[in-house]
Amino acid sequence: MASSRGGGQQVMRMGDMEKMSLEQLKAVKEQADVDVNLLQDSLNNIRTATARLRLLHSSTTFLRQGKKMLVPLTASLYVPGTLDDADKVLVDIGTGYFVEKTMAEGKDYCERKINLLKSNFDQLVEVASKKKTLADEAGVILQAKLKQLSPSN
Amino acid sequence: MSSSSTAVRELQRDLENKANDLSKLQKDIAKNHQVRKKYTIQLGENELVLKELDLLNEDANVYKLIGPVLVKQDLAEANANVRKRIEYISAELKRLDASLQDLEEKQYSKREAILKVQQRIQSHQAGKAKA
Repeated sequence: MASSRGGGQQVMRMGDMEKMSLEQLKAVKEQADVDVNLLQDSLNNIRTATARLRLLHSSTTFLRQGKKMLVPLTASLYVPGTLDDADKVLVDIGTGYFVEKTMAEGKDYCERKINLLKSNFDQLVEVASKKKTLADEAGVILQAKLKQLSPSN
Repeated sequence: MSSSSTAVRELQRDLENKANDLSKLQKDIAKNHQVRKKYTIQLGENELVLKELDLLNEDANVYKLIGPVLVKQDLAEANANVRKRIEYISAELKRLDASLQDLEEKQYSKREAILKVQQRIQSHQAGKAKA
């Protein structure tokens, strides 16, 4: 079953599903549902990541030198402080690498990341909706077959 | 009569062994999938980092997080490190692909072997029923 993941099922047409046995249909439907859920999870992850980047992006606009703020020492203890250097920010670009950027560059970085996520999001939405229709079709045909079978039993 | 029943018993033992082998193979395949997923994610992250490093100026300050401290690093050095890691992960993915293919072939032939043994058991039992 594990090896049947991925491509293969996408080329499935309505006609193919009509010919399948009940067990096969059930398997197809289950697999499609699992895929849909996985994609939905990915979409949610992208959504939260984008929200965080948006927040960062907006926070770059009000960080000025001498800005008063409360700095968290622990989750429940904050100490007052002022911002000393408002030009430079340190950006985590992944795998443990940090890069020093100016505020404007940092802002640019956020914008780029948001756009990247947006394009990924759009691609994923397309794949997810295709999978969803496949799952729905399989469900409809499965129901129809079950109905056909039940009166004879 | 008794010789055929011992033969069936023998075949059944054989079948059991083969079924165990098959489930072991399936476990290995699942593990392979898991490891591959991990590496694919790492590869994607490293590629993003490399893209970001390529965009930087020569004189940009790059730091590497080692434990809890940030250590300053040369941009060229960081670039080389990330490239090396991408190379390593790609090689590892290729190796995983090869071993997965191998495992799937083994799984397929095991299945065939199991089917054959089952057929032989059935024919033995059919012969016994006739006799």
